[in-house]
Amino acid sequence: MKCWNCETDTSGSPFCPTCGKIAERPAGTSHFAIFDLPLAYDVDVPALEKQFRELSLRLHPDRFAQAEAKERRLSLEQTTALNEAYKTLREPTRRAFYLLKMYGVDLEREDTGTQKDMPFEFLEEVLDLRESLEDAMAAKDLEQARKMATDVEARRKAALTEAVDMLRSLERSPSDEAAVKKASHALGRVRYFTRFLEQVEAFEEEALS
Amino acid sequence: MAYSDKVIDHYENPRNVGTLDKSDPNVGTGLVGAPACGDVMRLQLKITDEGVIEDAKFKTFGCGSAIASSSLVTEWVKGKTVDQAMTISNKDVARELALPPVKIHCSVLAEDAIKAAIDDFKKKRQARQEQA
Repeated sequence: MKCWNCETDTSGSPFCPTCGKIAERPAGTSHFAIFDLPLAYDVDVPALEKQFRELSLRLHPDRFAQAEAKERRLSLEQTTALNEAYKTLREPTRRAFYLLKMYGVDLEREDTGTQKDMPFEFLEEVLDLRESLEDAMAAKDLEQARKMATDVEARRKAALTEAVDMLRSLERSPSDEAAVKKASHALGRVRYFTRFLEQVEAFEEEALS
Repeated sequence: MAYSDKVIDHYENPRNVGTLDKSDPNVGTGLVGAPACGDVMRLQLKITDEGVIEDAKFKTFGCGSAIASSSLVTEWVKGKTVDQAMTISNKDVARELALPPVKIHCSVLAEDAIKAAIDDFKKKRQARQEQA
């Protein structure tokens, strides 16, 4: 990407290395690239936070209040992208989902696909779990719901660990389709378990209020 | 976002909630999930040997739009032939319920559930024929 002001190649940095003007980012810059990080699961979160604070200060729209329109706009754009990237990368689950998307499987999208289709047995199990929770809720049995939540939480953690293992192995062999599918299924399980836990939480709030 | 009156109606008075006997050779079970939200939908169809859907039941754990979508399709498929039911598309469901774009995936789920249930029924029938 060339600097809009002096035409130097900014090579993706937030400011032009030559004239120091705030730079444009190519469309589709990844969250990892914003922090100059490799596409990898393991992130040093305290270092990320430090980098985030420094960049936030330098890119803050307040600093560009008197600048020309183009710079004001870029400061706003970069700040928005920076916040989104930080929010995603600092949190392990969000980071894992994002990384999977980089490998071509976007679990946020509604279309189904062979990579995403969960095994029938698993969906059956989720349905059973949700039915049991429904029974516990109808009986106002908070104890039982909490017991189920403890079990599901352990399984959610195990599924996330499995997904992370797969994502780490993909860093070494990025075109391993079987690993992408395994990571996708493991994160799919994380999603269904998280949904279950949200339901328990809502029930707890209702029961305690 | 406000739900349409039709969604609210199906959500408050869902039609055909329940279970059919999964082991009945004339019952097809479709089970689908939405990876975007972590919700699940089960749709069961009781189909005559002539291929007419005589009963439909569903159980959905999800938002109002997902419940309304599955409730609506159970009403629609009853009395239809398997081939007719296969032509029901998510667009029909979304239009009927006036679903907003962010809820389109709920209608996709309902369409997928019909197809999965019919698929299950056909597989069962084929297995039976091979045995005979």
